[in-house]
Amino acid sequence: MRDKVIRQAMDTGLRTLTRVATSEWVEERGLREPAQRLVQAGARTGVVAAGKLVEAVKKRSPAPKARAPQTPFDLSPTEDQQMILDMLKRVSNDLLLPMAEEGDESCLPPEDVLAVGADLGLATAAIPEALGGGGDRSPMTTALVAEALGRGDMGLALALLAPVGVVNTIVDQGTEEQRNTWLPPFNAETFTPAALALMESAPLSNPALPLTRARKKGSGYVLKGQKSAVPLISTARFFLVAAKLDDTTRLFRVERDAAGVTAEAAPLMGLRSADMGNLSLHEVSVEAGALLGGDKYDHARVLDLCRVALCALGVGQCQAVLDYVKEYVNDREAFGEPISHRQSVAFMVADMAIEIEGMRLLTWRAASRAAAGLDFAEQTYLARLLCAEKAMKVGTDGVQLLGGHGYIKDHPVERWYRHLRAVGVLEGALSA
Amino acid sequence: MKILVPIKRVADPDNANKVKVSGDGTQVTSEGLEWKMNPFDEWSLEAALRLTEDGAKKTRTGEVVLVTIGPKDAAQTVRTGLSMGAERGILVEANDQELDSNMVAQILKAIVDKEKPDLVVMGKQTVDGDSNVAGTVLAELLGWPLANYAMSLATDDDGKTLTVKRELDTGVSTIKVTGPAVITTSDRILKPESVKNGVTPADFKYPEAEGGRYASLKGIMAAKKKPIDEVTAASLGATPQKTLSYLKFELPAARSGQTTFVESVEELVQKLKSDAKVL
Repeated sequence: MRDKVIRQAMDTGLRTLTRVATSEWVEERGLREPAQRLVQAGARTGVVAAGKLVEAVKKRSPAPKARAPQTPFDLSPTEDQQMILDMLKRVSNDLLLPMAEEGDESCLPPEDVLAVGADLGLATAAIPEALGGGGDRSPMTTALVAEALGRGDMGLALALLAPVGVVNTIVDQGTEEQRNTWLPPFNAETFTPAALALMESAPLSNPALPLTRARKKGSGYVLKGQKSAVPLISTARFFLVAAKLDDTTRLFRVERDAAGVTAEAAPLMGLRSADMGNLSLHEVSVEAGALLGGDKYDHARVLDLCRVALCALGVGQCQAVLDYVKEYVNDREAFGEPISHRQSVAFMVADMAIEIEGMRLLTWRAASRAAAGLDFAEQTYLARLLCAEKAMKVGTDGVQLLGGHGYIKDHPVERWYRHLRAVGVLEGALSA
Repeated sequence: MKILVPIKRVADPDNANKVKVSGDGTQVTSEGLEWKMNPFDEWSLEAALRLTEDGAKKTRTGEVVLVTIGPKDAAQTVRTGLSMGAERGILVEANDQELDSNMVAQILKAIVDKEKPDLVVMGKQTVDGDSNVAGTVLAELLGWPLANYAMSLATDDDGKTLTVKRELDTGVSTIKVTGPAVITTSDRILKPESVKNGVTPADFKYPEAEGGRYASLKGIMAAKKKPIDEVTAASLGATPQKTLSYLKFELPAARSGQTTFVESVEELVQKLKSDAKVL
């Protein structure tokens, strides 16, 4: 098959050249000889190009490299992860689902939810043992946690996990001193709000190259710019703000009460319960130590870990949509039978299930490679693109399958639809 | 205060439709089932944890020892209890199919003799067998007072004496119990103010919840390091005898789920006679 494609491509090019070389038009202008030389050269170049392609195909073996050949191919969570998932399933069902409407209305996460979040110690797990934490930061565990909580409600899950994203980023990129001083407050009995501020308010802005600028002043820095879609905007004690410093993009710790900082709520279409808002930085001075990490700081990695976490959150919410519509289409009767007996309905539900499993597997692959310390950028892009597209589709189809019921607030699907639109537009609100 | 909390794993009710009867009808098969802690046991564990802590300061003041009787992988259920805050666990190896309530009570007695707890706090029943027997027989074997169907517990002398409210069909019975004692709990034990231990401030309220407390992520990680002793009935010196045997299991007949509307009482009576054949 591959050889055939290459041969066809070469044939088409050579045919064109040959036609030119033998045409009367060439003869008339005395160009026969140069044209024929060109044909020969073309054939030679074609062979080289095809050879290169074959080499590329050989190199790019689709099979993943085995990491632990002694174990079977297994997607099961570890014993710890399974216990965490069992517990979070209860949290999602008993707490997030019932509280989601209230959070959506008030555009704030309910206090009861945050109190449970503190009891769960979601942020604690990633904190090193020496600082009183669980000492086990794993992007895979964070992805599973995000998925499990996203299944309850993506908005509340984002509210609960925003500080986890901050902790993960500090553990991953921070200096020894930053880890020792910035992390302990997250080990508290009460919920410690903090948030990543990576997105810009300008349209089509690239999170890798923010418009927010930092410049050196004395021993510290001065920041100027606008951030948007920042979770926990009303309560976050500090933000990790992405800003361009010379030719690099870095994160800076900015206290909410620093001079020149304006944090204001700006509820979005979805994720309202995560208290989303804008952060304006007008000539905000920070100390030298506010610059996260040292020379090895890797902003691309920070962004990719955010993308993995966002995908996982979306997968969880999509799964909730699927679980809900499956019940609905089997219960709802029209024309004397459940609407699931109609193929157009059944096919939609089946497509949802297939896409969600695809999203989940791509996300897990990216997360598990990150957890294993392997490069995971390519896997993240694949997951990100599929999740962005299909999360929105699952949201839309969920509303569609409920018919008129999809459009009213008696069912949670309209809220989930609004949440899921965010998977396509959000970058960097939490991190794996 | 040292409390022994017996727990049992049961088929997860979310997957209860997968429960099957073996071809020969001699047993209910458990292959492929997902397990969780018997809800009544989870609630009794919550009560035991409340008795042995300062709820406001979130510090432990006593010891909760979990015991389960079952196959080796039932240790996972013990682990869940340890992640909620219990100090250690005991797994008595046994095959679920070869047990009855009487044997469970005899094995538990052997554990109590060894561990010498101040209280045994257990669920009033399991949601699989629903026998509601083991706690009562255990108290009888130990010669200890029994306070079953407890909906509230209060002590101000570290469990030496307790005031127990029992939930009965006829109302609420309030009794005073002198420990050591066996207490079996009902679901109301989860109410925010149902447990008073004299350590947690009297006005402290636990959050409204549908189950026991959520394990924290740190608790889950810490549970791995807590000890689970594996023993057998024989190693405890117990020789429990099975007194109950099941002759046959069969699944209930599938229900048709049909609804028939009738126009009059006469027609209803007629249909109950002719169609439903219940009159």
